[in-house]
Amino acid sequence: MRRFISILTMDLRNLFKNPVLVGYNTAFAALMILILGYLCGGDYADGKTAYQYYTISLMIYGMLNGAMTASNCFMERDIKRPNLRIIYSPARNFEIYVSKIVSSFLFNYTLHSLLLIVLCPLLNVSLGRNPVFFMLLMAPVEFAAAALGIFFCCVFHCEETTSTLLSLAISILCFLGGTFFSLDGMGEVLAFATKLSPVKWLNEAFFILSCDNSLRLFWPVFISGTILSALMTLGCGLFFRTEDYI
Amino acid sequence: MDTIMTVNHLKKNFKEASVLKGISFYIRQGEVLCILGPNGAGKSTTINILTAALRSDGGEILFKGTKISKILRSYKQSIGIVPQDISLYEELSAEQNLRFFASLYGLYGNRLNKAVEEALTFAGLNDRRRDKVKTFSGGMKRRLNIACAIAHHPDLVIMDEPTVGIDPQSRNHILSSIKKLQSQGMTVIYTTHYMEEVEAISSRIIIMDHGSILAEGTKESLKEEIENEKKYIIEVEEHGGIGHDEFFAVEGVRSVKIDGNVIEITSLKGIENLDRIISLLSDHGEKIRNITSEAASLEMVFLKLTGRKLRD
Repeated sequence: MRRFISILTMDLRNLFKNPVLVGYNTAFAALMILILGYLCGGDYADGKTAYQYYTISLMIYGMLNGAMTASNCFMERDIKRPNLRIIYSPARNFEIYVSKIVSSFLFNYTLHSLLLIVLCPLLNVSLGRNPVFFMLLMAPVEFAAAALGIFFCCVFHCEETTSTLLSLAISILCFLGGTFFSLDGMGEVLAFATKLSPVKWLNEAFFILSCDNSLRLFWPVFISGTILSALMTLGCGLFFRTEDYI
Repeated sequence: MDTIMTVNHLKKNFKEASVLKGISFYIRQGEVLCILGPNGAGKSTTINILTAALRSDGGEILFKGTKISKILRSYKQSIGIVPQDISLYEELSAEQNLRFFASLYGLYGNRLNKAVEEALTFAGLNDRRRDKVKTFSGGMKRRLNIACAIAHHPDLVIMDEPTVGIDPQSRNHILSSIKKLQSQGMTVIYTTHYMEEVEAISSRIIIMDHGSILAEGTKESLKEEIENEKKYIIEVEEHGGIGHDEFFAVEGVRSVKIDGNVIEITSLKGIENLDRIISLLSDHGEKIRNITSEAASLEMVFLKLTGRKLRD
């Protein structure tokens, strides 16, 4: 356990010392929310503003992009070489990839939570009557994204390929899911396509939680995220090969 | 001395290419075993398999008489590895790197503090312990790269070309450190393509090329193989048309290599034939610019075994 804590602490330290990752998950995300919120200004339904919409939807986008933080933490060139020493050490294989998943999850979850704590009062954004549910629902989504990033690294054995594939897939799913603007009013085909994107359902779950105080989709999303996290972590165990680090 | 590791018929293929062709060797406790070979000889693949990071396609490795696959974690605990690339966290200090990597081997508290102090002293980095690695010179990083591998006092240290691209001062520091490790009873496997390093530190040498072991022995025993030979290196102003056959007609000549204006002739010792070689060149109107002769060296052994120079 001590060895695992050591590896986890080092992984966290490396992530928090990476100015690009910290900036992307805080300043860049905040800037996107402010710009899109301002450009699409005006009140939305029920007195909610564009800031409400973009804070929630871009936060989900950020959570999913946590997959790339994980792949970076796992195989980024400068990190990969010292990580090789962990491979050489008596550490068990699962300690290595589980540590990367947990550290990426903690990193993303901490930064996204801090961002919400700062932005919500500033932009008058509501996370629902009890924000704890919102924060709780973020956890399995963040964890599943981190596990997905590591799983892709284990399958494709390369950070660049993983990042390219994930970035493309997440952008398409978020576009279809209405992260940047709603596609529902753009014809039947796009309205149908939007329903196929799991991001649509994620958005739905977080929006009804924050705007309607409804827990209708809380448990389905929470359980799905947890199951996906478990499956991806198990998948890492199947595909993880120490050779990929050499 | 007891045998600490035995490698039997180790094989590795990458796609269609056979990178290791069933090599076998052993290393005794307290030895410095140098694996010598040019790029692509299979040295790093051998090392990667010995570190258990890469699977072999055949053969077995015994550590203190037991297959390493059966004692993988205790085997890893007993070895220290110096990878070819510098494997350090650049944003962390020397001390933080050492502390972290040593902790992976179960060192905590006072034992960890002591191990870190010793490793810093070993690397000669006590005064830079709190500086970030990214501020270090190449030589200092290399020294720290080695210190991270020995901080937990392994029985066997495996070093994969640890002196690549460093200044002579740091190289000397590293070589003398390895001798010190040996004097403390540590066993070292050391790959390199620098002949002078092998001359300086080896207890025994393995010469590899194209995935096979070509020769194995001490410096002295390997040199014995060519002790009955000498080599002339003759530089002419402009090499004309003397063929190899004409040199072979001179008594004692064993091999001839002509490379531009440089003619390398290997001849049997005890047969004084230099005057006849010079006459032959003069007869063909060759103007000799320089003549040197070489005694038996590992470079010559390597050339004889592989037909090419180590850094070709």
